[in-house]
Amino acid sequence: MRVWTMLALCLLMLVGSPVARAEPITLDSFELARTDEGLVLSFSARFDLSRTVEDALLKGVPLFFVAQADVFRDRWYWRDKEVNSVTRTWRLAYQPLTRKYRVTFGGLSQHYDSLPEALSAVSRTINWKLADPPMLDDGRHYVEFSYQLDTTQMPRPMQIGIGGQADWALRIERVRRLN
Amino acid sequence: MTKASRWAWIVSLVAVTGAGLVLVFLLSLATNSRGLYEQHYVWLFWVNVVVAGLLLLVIGIAGVRLLVRVRRGKFGSRLLLRLAAVFAMVGVVPGLLIYTVSYQFVSRSIETWFDVKVEGALDAGLSLGRATLDAQVNDLATKTRLAAERLSDTANPVPTLALERLREQLSAQEVTLLGANGQVLLTVGRITTAFSPDRPSTTQLRQVRSARVMSQLEGLDEDSVAASNAARVRALAYMPSNSFSLGAQDRFLMVTQMLPTSMVTNALSVQAAYREYQQRALARDGLRRMYIGTLTLTLVLAVFGALLLAVTLGNQLARPLLVLAEGVRQVARGDLTRKQVFASRDELSGLTRSFADMTEQLSEARSLVQRSLAQLEAARTNLQTILDNLTAGVIVFDRDGHIDTVNPGATRILRLPVSAYRGRLLSEVPGLQDFAAAVAQRFELHRSSPEAGERDHWQDAFDLQTTAANGRENDKITLLVRGASMPHAGQLMVFDDITEVVSAQRAEAWSEVARRLAHEIKNPLTPIQLSAERLQHKLESKLEGLDQAMLVRSVGTIVNQVQAMKTLVNEFRDYARLPAARPRALDLNALVSEVLTLYATAQESGRLSAELTPELPTILGDTTQLRQVIHNLVQNALDAVAERPEGWVRLRTEIARTDHGEIRAVRLQVLDNGPGFSEKVLKRAFEPYVTTKTKGTGLGLAVVKKIADEHGARIRLANLTAGGVEGAPVTGAQVSLSFSKFAPADSTPAVVANTEARAH
Repeated sequence: MRVWTMLALCLLMLVGSPVARAEPITLDSFELARTDEGLVLSFSARFDLSRTVEDALLKGVPLFFVAQADVFRDRWYWRDKEVNSVTRTWRLAYQPLTRKYRVTFGGLSQHYDSLPEALSAVSRTINWKLADPPMLDDGRHYVEFSYQLDTTQMPRPMQIGIGGQADWALRIERVRRLN
Repeated sequence: MTKASRWAWIVSLVAVTGAGLVLVFLLSLATNSRGLYEQHYVWLFWVNVVVAGLLLLVIGIAGVRLLVRVRRGKFGSRLLLRLAAVFAMVGVVPGLLIYTVSYQFVSRSIETWFDVKVEGALDAGLSLGRATLDAQVNDLATKTRLAAERLSDTANPVPTLALERLREQLSAQEVTLLGANGQVLLTVGRITTAFSPDRPSTTQLRQVRSARVMSQLEGLDEDSVAASNAARVRALAYMPSNSFSLGAQDRFLMVTQMLPTSMVTNALSVQAAYREYQQRALARDGLRRMYIGTLTLTLVLAVFGALLLAVTLGNQLARPLLVLAEGVRQVARGDLTRKQVFASRDELSGLTRSFADMTEQLSEARSLVQRSLAQLEAARTNLQTILDNLTAGVIVFDRDGHIDTVNPGATRILRLPVSAYRGRLLSEVPGLQDFAAAVAQRFELHRSSPEAGERDHWQDAFDLQTTAANGRENDKITLLVRGASMPHAGQLMVFDDITEVVSAQRAEAWSEVARRLAHEIKNPLTPIQLSAERLQHKLESKLEGLDQAMLVRSVGTIVNQVQAMKTLVNEFRDYARLPAARPRALDLNALVSEVLTLYATAQESGRLSAELTPELPTILGDTTQLRQVIHNLVQNALDAVAERPEGWVRLRTEIARTDHGEIRAVRLQVLDNGPGFSEKVLKRAFEPYVTTKTKGTGLGLAVVKKIADEHGARIRLANLTAGGVEGAPVTGAQVSLSFSKFAPADSTPAVVANTEARAH
């Protein structure tokens, strides 16, 4: 829906924009584990922010990084049932006054002096619980995971200004089946 | 489409257009204010697009339909097209103009918002804030280091009082003494629940060991208002131990100082403004696109609305005109049925009503004219029939004297094809030159000096001698001509053939003369005869010899001649006044046989023969008169063939039947092979004194005709020709008498009385 809207807006305003390409973003590690607490995921992503994004960040635009994991159970008679869906959002902002990078996660916030530090803080998670044990009893399950730079939480005019520019399209997806 | 459904369509379309416009308005608001409208921007946008698409579809359909109708030449479609085009232009052109201007305006003004100077100012403000904060931080750092060095000189453990004094000196929030691992050894200060002293991390401690002092800003988050209260500077200084004892550990001095609220607020506001500005600057492309998109969509919706209105209004306006034009076309074609009246409240409906009334009047007038024409036609046909059936001839001349109309009677009387000469002068008809000249002269005479008693017409008798088609001359006919002037300087000529009337009058006259003459002459005849006889009686015995012979001869002559004159006079008298016929039933065959006994010699010599059909029905007739007829006819025939050696005369009786076989008449025929009748004689044979003989009175056939007329019989003269073909040489003559008065069935034929045979 988001991509559709962006494309339509561009067409109507007679601005041709190139089709979105995914910036090279890689998952360094992606581990699903079944523990007593349930299904946990540990991942770490690695990427570089492009020039435009970094400029925007330094000018004070906050960046949102969203990791989403959906657990599905196979069903032959209908669409696969979604057992659970969890999301995590990081907010990365640069403070010109203090020249520090502030990462907000949930209610917590931390300050970093340099961008790489901040980036590493937003792009990894350890032992993130996806589902409780009772949900995983029957059937075969698989996990759909995505991690991206979310532009929908930015102010509307910015969104329209960005459009479908390739610089801002940072996304990676992974599907892993539970054994 | 019915009126109701049409109205429903219009109303729904207008509603849709209105809704679309309202949505556009909302859309324009959405680009301006954030929050609620921004969230709904997308679906607002899409709804507008859908409405625009719908309108485009409707307009497209209407436009295509209109063009198809124009192409097909449907009546009124061009007018509608023009009206729609005009209205559409009225709606579209201003819209386009405004759109262009607004587009330029939006683009330019957005650009002007993001001025370089503003950016510079914000940058400067930010640097200022940053510098101020840095100054505070550095200041605290320096002070903390100095304090730490001083404190390290003092005894171990550091007394609380000293820390307190230091805290007041620095006007700090809190002063904390930390051990080598960062554990809190001693702390003084107001501890609020808002925050608790953070334990510095190992990296930080290591850093401080090397750099001696480190200070940073904390709690300066832009999120909440509380940030301005929680902003502080924290400085960490390394306290070198001055004892060389083992177990002596590093100590750290941590000072926390609150920043002044106003400064923090200002700095934060500058940062916020800067951030806002930068975001806006980054987003200005998007903003412009949003504005332009909204503008375009508004234009599109407005244009479509205008087009729709144009088509609808055009339709409304054009319809009465089209009704009118259609009516005019129908009238031109000749269709005068009741015309449609357009009901509205403006002048156009009055126009259509007047037109309908006018058409109705036209229609009535036309039907009236048609009725009058029909009547006129009937009257004319009537007159024409009368004219055609008149026995009199009618010729109408126009003002130049050319023949205008000729009726069949004229052609019949004149026996010339006058109707073929229509349009030409009467004198051009062959044979009518003299007649035409005479008529013209008479017309002229009438016009110039009319005779007394003649007011509007003249009457005269003309003799006409025409030539028949085969070159032979017709008989002379006498015409009674009446002439009159017609309206429009034409001339009318009516004529009648009075030949027979004249002829009858002439016969009548002769008859009267004959009677009188007979009477006058007869009277002296008897005395003359008596005197002569007396003379002879007296003197015959007294004279002798030659004298006696002479006396006898002379008296004989006198007596004979007197007798002859008596006979003549008697015949005259007979002709003039036939004794009344006494019709009696008689058998014709018997009568013929009786008469023929007197012609025995002719019969014996073969010159006379009789062919009598037996079983003739009895006819009504006067025996004496019929005897005379037969005598006359036979005598004529015998005289005709007297010169011919081979001459014969045949007497025939026969029955004439109708087509159905009934008895029509009894015919008596006398045929001979003499010279026949000449044309002249044929026509006037029955007139008195017409004869081909050298001697005789010429009254024989006249008497026969009279007797025939008395009996109601028909008499016909004809020539016998070779082979019976007309135009072939004449071989003889034939006289036929047809008696159609029959005696009643039960009467017996009269006894043939023996009377004096009259010889002719």
